[in-house]
Amino acid sequence: MIAVQRGLWRAGIRPRLRLRELGLLLLAGLTLAVGWASLQSFRAGELDMADLTLLAVYLATVAGVHVVLVVSGRRIDQVLLPTAGLLGGVSLLLMERLPQNLAAQSFGGTLLPLGPLQTLWLVVGFVVLGAVAVLVRSDGWLRRYKYTWAALGIGLLLLVFIFGESVGGQRLTLRIGPVAGQPSELLKVILVVFLAGYLAENRALLTMTSTTIGPLRLPPLAYLLPMLAMWGIALAVVIIQRDLGAALLFFLVFLALLYVATRRASFVLLGLLLFVAGGAVLYQFFPHVRVRVDIWLNPFADPLGAGYQIVRALYAYGRGGIIGTGLGAGLPQVGQVPAIPAIHTDFVFAALAEEMGMLGGLAVLGLYLVIAERGLRIAASTTDDFRALLAVGLTLVVVIQAAVIAGGNLRVVPLTGITLPLVSYGGSSLLVNCGIIGLLMALSDRGVEPPPLRDSRPSRFGWLRRRAAARGAAR
Amino acid sequence: MDAFTLTLWILRLAFVALIYVFFFVVARALWRDLRAVVVGGGQALARLVVVGGPEGGPKAGTSYQLDAVNTIGRDVNNSVVIDDTYVSAEHAVLTFRGRSWFVEDNDSTNGTWVNGQRVSTYLPVGYGDELQIGRLRMRLERVAPP
Repeated sequence: MIAVQRGLWRAGIRPRLRLRELGLLLLAGLTLAVGWASLQSFRAGELDMADLTLLAVYLATVAGVHVVLVVSGRRIDQVLLPTAGLLGGVSLLLMERLPQNLAAQSFGGTLLPLGPLQTLWLVVGFVVLGAVAVLVRSDGWLRRYKYTWAALGIGLLLLVFIFGESVGGQRLTLRIGPVAGQPSELLKVILVVFLAGYLAENRALLTMTSTTIGPLRLPPLAYLLPMLAMWGIALAVVIIQRDLGAALLFFLVFLALLYVATRRASFVLLGLLLFVAGGAVLYQFFPHVRVRVDIWLNPFADPLGAGYQIVRALYAYGRGGIIGTGLGAGLPQVGQVPAIPAIHTDFVFAALAEEMGMLGGLAVLGLYLVIAERGLRIAASTTDDFRALLAVGLTLVVVIQAAVIAGGNLRVVPLTGITLPLVSYGGSSLLVNCGIIGLLMALSDRGVEPPPLRDSRPSRFGWLRRRAAARGAAR
Repeated sequence: MDAFTLTLWILRLAFVALIYVFFFVVARALWRDLRAVVVGGGQALARLVVVGGPEGGPKAGTSYQLDAVNTIGRDVNNSVVIDDTYVSAEHAVLTFRGRSWFVEDNDSTNGTWVNGQRVSTYLPVGYGDELQIGRLRMRLERVAPP
């Protein structure tokens, strides 16, 4: 044992046990196994685990990431991986449970239906998460090239606008060969990186007061322009693409970061006023915005047309009740399709809340709260503005997105088409959200633990160490 | 109700219950972390309490805990970081030598001041003295013994 440890130390590898993470991962694994048993037993009509391959592959990947983190020996946050792992596992259970023909993609001749496809993306996602968490040591490449990142983001959007494919009235998908992706998922990370870099650099200037309009105290307008331009371009392109969810997300993250950087409530107030004014204009001139607001206010006005999905989702919550119908027991199908067409993407929260009940839905939302707490704590413990703003922005991108889509599903806010992070089906969304969690973990990295100080007093096991040293010298 | 229905019922509730167990285990761990940060904060030699400064900077009453040697400046590698454009990257050094504190100016652009007197090389600082770095005015205070 000692020989193994000495060998590792000499090779520069200093493993560091992560007991809290291990414990939480075991708990998450047990939870998912019970969920799997519940689903498969209901299907078989007897106590049954069916084919465990998918769950085993997924859990093995998460365990592998844990082992990599242990071997790296770096002091990285221990709560984020189990939390993301549990959310991903819930996603796996739901995708395995939903009708398998909702999505399918063939890789080299083998056709993968929904469940295995999502497992594949989860595995790739967690590999990305682990790689980002361990390999990203410096943030210079993010900080230094912020305008390049911004240009890249806008370029990506233009590319989609010109070459993109239209799916369901939204032009979001970019196809390169056999791989299709949604660049607006990546754009939100790029936006956060740009805003964090710009705000960290010009924070002091933005808190200066030079212009006063009534009770509002504004900073020199020149310093607000690049940010407003970035925000305007992102918003305009997103509105042209009809991706309202992304527009809402960008705007909320932008306001939150501005507030965190400047501590000025007047900015938030101004932003909200702009938001209300913009919302009113959009409602007047864009029919697809008006439809969204109308079905939010009264979905039963057109229960078989525009309001169909929301009405069906409301029925689903009613069927689920407080403790839910149980995995596999809910979600009636109309003919061969599920009652809610987008049940695996935008409306995954409805599936979750029907089969796991209000209690299950709240528990999953609680997991996002855990991510929020961890992310904001990581931000508070960083030593400079850029890292702090980056951590806040990345956390809020995940949490606000979850809040906006869960709220939309529950008819608390108007419905917008974005994914529930880490739970919805979709490769781009999963990869980007796993990358975000990985980046947060990298930001929480406090480096390798310094080697223990030499103790000059003779220890109780001194003879053991001396013998080992003598053996080493003889060799 | 037959045995299988009961088992299924238990499995289904256990699944949701286990997510809650996970949530509470995490919440307890986070709560402990938070308390550890609050409790373990002590053992500073003295502290600098902000008296006044530019708008948007640290508020009056904010305090910086001091060790025996403290570098003060705008650069993030200082032990007391003051993010103000009037402060040089490596502005001054505040050290505890023997029985009293000394402040040394590192050729800063806008100077270091003790009770309104500009520091040319170094000056002793007593508890209660006012130190001005850039536009930020701070008072050196003794930390109450535990």
